[in-house]
Amino acid sequence: MQRHQFAPMLAAILVSITAAGAGVSAHHSFAPFDMGAEKTISGTVKQFDWTNPHTWIWVNVSDGKGGVETWAIEGMSPNFLGRRGWTKSSLKPGDKISLVIRPLRDGSKGGMFVRATLADGKVLLPTGDPTEP
Amino acid sequence: MQKMRRRGVAPAIALGFALATTGQAAPQTSTPKPPAVDDWTAVGKLPDLTGVWELTFGGGGGGRGAAGRGAAAGRGALPQGPQLTPAAAAKRKELQSVPREDNQTANCLPPGMPGIMGQPYPMEFLLTPGLVTIVIEAYTQVRHIYTDGRALPADPDLKFHGTSVGRWEGDTLVAETVGFSPLTEIAANVPHGDKMRIVERFRLTDPTTMTIETTVTDPDVLTAPYTTTRTLKRHRTWTIAEYICEENNRNFVDQNGKAGVNLNQAGPAKKEQ
Repeated sequence: MQRHQFAPMLAAILVSITAAGAGVSAHHSFAPFDMGAEKTISGTVKQFDWTNPHTWIWVNVSDGKGGVETWAIEGMSPNFLGRRGWTKSSLKPGDKISLVIRPLRDGSKGGMFVRATLADGKVLLPTGDPTEP
Repeated sequence: MQKMRRRGVAPAIALGFALATTGQAAPQTSTPKPPAVDDWTAVGKLPDLTGVWELTFGGGGGGRGAAGRGAAAGRGALPQGPQLTPAAAAKRKELQSVPREDNQTANCLPPGMPGIMGQPYPMEFLLTPGLVTIVIEAYTQVRHIYTDGRALPADPDLKFHGTSVGRWEGDTLVAETVGFSPLTEIAANVPHGDKMRIVERFRLTDPTTMTIETTVTDPDVLTAPYTTTRTLKRHRTWTIAEYICEENNRNFVDQNGKAGVNLNQAGPAKKEQ
């Protein structure tokens, strides 16, 4: 249900941002990512890089064999997200998180951020209208 | 140049100093007078372009943006793209035959003009006597449009943003720019020629809206002027944020155009202690 509600919205966002003059990320193409795929990973936030040109969420995920593997998820810049409600504290080490991503095509443990759901049910989206008139 | 080489290096260096001191590096030919109170008063009477502006999404593409839109949709032809000379069309076809996954902006090289004006980040306009300054958040760039009456340089250095002069035509700031780095392009796979010229018309359409009409001419590449119009919204409470692309850039493109992502190390790229 949630997915069906979100898909058209994401498509609209991608189209509109692309039309504005650049990709979502502003400075690189989507080529390394499988933009037609969605993958969900769940784990614990290891680190949140509130950095340019992209934010990065590092997440510890169980490998199903008693071990942990770290995934790296690329998001929009702090400049872009900061004008749309995010802060450097939106994610903190130790937060339980479920992430929907566009996985890297080469199978590496990484992807592009689509959305995140925190333990309290709060959903973080990568875009939206600026928070100021 | 050949002549200078034959004569030796010293005269060339001397000539370089002479050019530098006679204003070759800066296009004005006389020393600007310091601004007086009247000059600041005159600035206050100009159309108020000051403040922080951001493109409205869907407000029009152009330059890199328009090209990106076509490429993102997987279309070969751009519906409203630049009209190319046969040579430029052949060049684009050649470049497209070896598809590149990305361009050097993935490595943090700024796109230059005209693409830098189409980024999804805000720009701050400053008006001072004889000068309009545009502080561009994306890639931390700045443009200077000299409105003090100076002429464009006859033999400009080639720069990412070229060299710009401007004048006010009624309520419109008209900027002309020449002298672009060969690393910039008109649109994806459309390199520009030596004679590319860009005219921008900046105008308020209401107190919070500005349009920028951008016309690119390039007799070696375009058979008709290539005009795009962008719409920007003013955000009075915004400030320009820092954007150091090299801070934690994990994206890259190699010399063959292959794009990739570097996941080597958690955290911003710090030097090992």
